[in-house]
Amino acid sequence: MKRYLRLYAAFIRFSFSKAMEFRIDFFFRIGMDIIWNIVNISFFWILYQHTPLLGGWTFDQMLVFAGGVFVVDAVHMTLFSNNMWWLPTYINKGDVDYHLVRPVSSLFILSVRDFAANSFVNLLMACGILTWTLARYPSELGAASILLFLVLLLVGVVLHYALSMLFIIPTFWLHASGGLREFMWATEQYMTRPHGIFQGWTARILVSILPFGLIVSFPTRVLFEGPSLAVLLHIFAVTGAMFFFLTRLWRAGLRAYSSASS
Amino acid sequence: MRPALLWHIFSVEARKRMSYRADFWINSLGGIAVSFSVFWAITHAMFSSSGKTEIAGYSVSGMLLYYIFASLTGRVVQSNEVELAASQDIYDGSLSRYLLYPVPYAAVKYAQQAGGLAPQILQMIVFGIAALLLIGIPDEIHITSGTVAMYVLSLAMANLLHYLLLLPIQAVAFWADNVWSLVVASRFATSLLGGLLLPLDMFPPWSRPILDALPFAYLYSLPVRVLLGRASMAEWATGLAIAAGWCLLFSFVIRWIWRRGNLQYTGVGI
Repeated sequence: MKRYLRLYAAFIRFSFSKAMEFRIDFFFRIGMDIIWNIVNISFFWILYQHTPLLGGWTFDQMLVFAGGVFVVDAVHMTLFSNNMWWLPTYINKGDVDYHLVRPVSSLFILSVRDFAANSFVNLLMACGILTWTLARYPSELGAASILLFLVLLLVGVVLHYALSMLFIIPTFWLHASGGLREFMWATEQYMTRPHGIFQGWTARILVSILPFGLIVSFPTRVLFEGPSLAVLLHIFAVTGAMFFFLTRLWRAGLRAYSSASS
Repeated sequence: MRPALLWHIFSVEARKRMSYRADFWINSLGGIAVSFSVFWAITHAMFSSSGKTEIAGYSVSGMLLYYIFASLTGRVVQSNEVELAASQDIYDGSLSRYLLYPVPYAAVKYAQQAGGLAPQILQMIVFGIAALLLIGIPDEIHITSGTVAMYVLSLAMANLLHYLLLLPIQAVAFWADNVWSLVVASRFATSLLGGLLLPLDMFPPWSRPILDALPFAYLYSLPVRVLLGRASMAEWATGLAIAAGWCLLFSFVIRWIWRRGNLQYTGVGI
C-alpha cells in the first residue's frame, strides 16, 4: 500500500510540472469546465421556469444534485479520464507491455498514472459549488446526512470509474474504440440527470445493469429522504459487483492481448 | 478557385466516411437512442409535474419532435470529426502541404467537411422519417414541402456559420499547443444558446432579443423551427440575413488571425 501511495505522489508531482509547461492549455481547460458548469445549472434553471418539480425534486434539491454531478465528474476527470483516453491507443500499439513488467498492478498504473492537474482546479470549483448548494438549501440537512452523502459520492466515483472502464476494455478484442467511447459519453447523460425522471424498465436498468442512477441520484436521495438499509446495501452491492466484474474482464483482456501493434 | 478540385475533395471525403460502417451505426443508433430516452424522460416528467398540456407552445409530442430534429440537425451542423482538423494541421505541421495547394486552405477544409457529412445526412433522413412515423405530427407542427426546402437552405447556412465560427478558435493553435478545450467549451455554449439542449422558446422572454442577436440561434434553433413550421417566412429571411452577416464578420476575423498566425507558423510540427 505504501509503495502505491509513494508512486501516486510521484505521478501527481510529474503531472503538475507538466501542466505548468503548457500554461495556456491549463487555463483553457479551466474555462471549459466553468462553461460546462454554467450550462448545466442554466439547463435546470430553464426547466424549472416551467415546472415546480422535476423527478420529484425542487430546484434547490436539483442544485444539490447538480453539485454532486460536478464533484463526481471533476474527480473522474482529474484521476481517470486522461488515462482512459490513452488506454485504447496503448492496447492497439502494444504499449501495454511496458506496464505489464512493472511490479505493481497493471490496472492501477494504467488507470491513474496520468493525474490531470488542470482538472484539479475544476475539482476545487466543483467542491465550492456543492458547498454553496448545500449552504443555500432552505432547510437543515444535518452534518451526519451530509457526511453520508459525501461518502456515497465517493462510492459513486468508484462506480463511475468501473462503468467507464467496462466500455473501454473491449478494445482488447475489438481494436477499434471510437464507437464505444462515443457511446460511453452518451450513456453518461444518465448520470447527469436525476433518476426520478425515469420510469419502468429504464429506471430499473439504471440501478442494475447500467447503474448510472446510483452514482449521484441515489446519494442525493439518501440526503433528502434519509438513509435506508436497503438503498445503502443496494449501492454497495452493485458497486462491488461492477468492480469485481471489471477486474475479471481486465484479466480476460490481458489474456487476449497479443502485444502486436496495429 | 477551382470548383472541380473542391468537388473531388468533397467526394473522396464522403466515400471515406461511409466506409466506417460499424462505428457509424454504433455511434448513431446508440447515441441517438440514449439522448432521446433522456429527453423523453425529462419532457414527460416536466409535463406531468407542471400539469400543463403545452409548454412554450409545444405539446409533449411537439417537444419530442423538436429535440429529435435538433439532435439530427446538430450532427450535420457540427460534423464532429473535422471539428479539430485545422488546429491539428497547425499543431503537427500538416498545414505546410496545404500551403502549396492552388486553392485557399479554408475552402479545401470546408469541402472536406461538407464531404464528411454524408453519414449524418443519411442519419437525418432515416431517423427523421422514423420519428415522424413513431411520434406522429401534433397540431402545432406543420411540415410541408415548403418548410423542408427552407430547412435545407437554413441547414446549409448553419453548417457554414458553424465552420466559420470554429475556424478562428482553431487558429488559436498558432499560439497555443492545445485548443481542444476551447472547441469543447464552444460546443457546450452553442448547445445551450443555440437551442440544441432545449427549444429557445423555453428561455425567459427577456433573453430572446439577446439570443436573436447572437449567432448561435441560427445554428440549430432556426433550422428546426423552420422545418416544423414554427417560423414565418419573414423570420426565416431575417434569420438567414443575420446568419450571413455573422458569416461575413467571422470570415474577416479569420482572415486577420490567419495572416498573423502564418507569421508565427514554423511548419516543424510535434
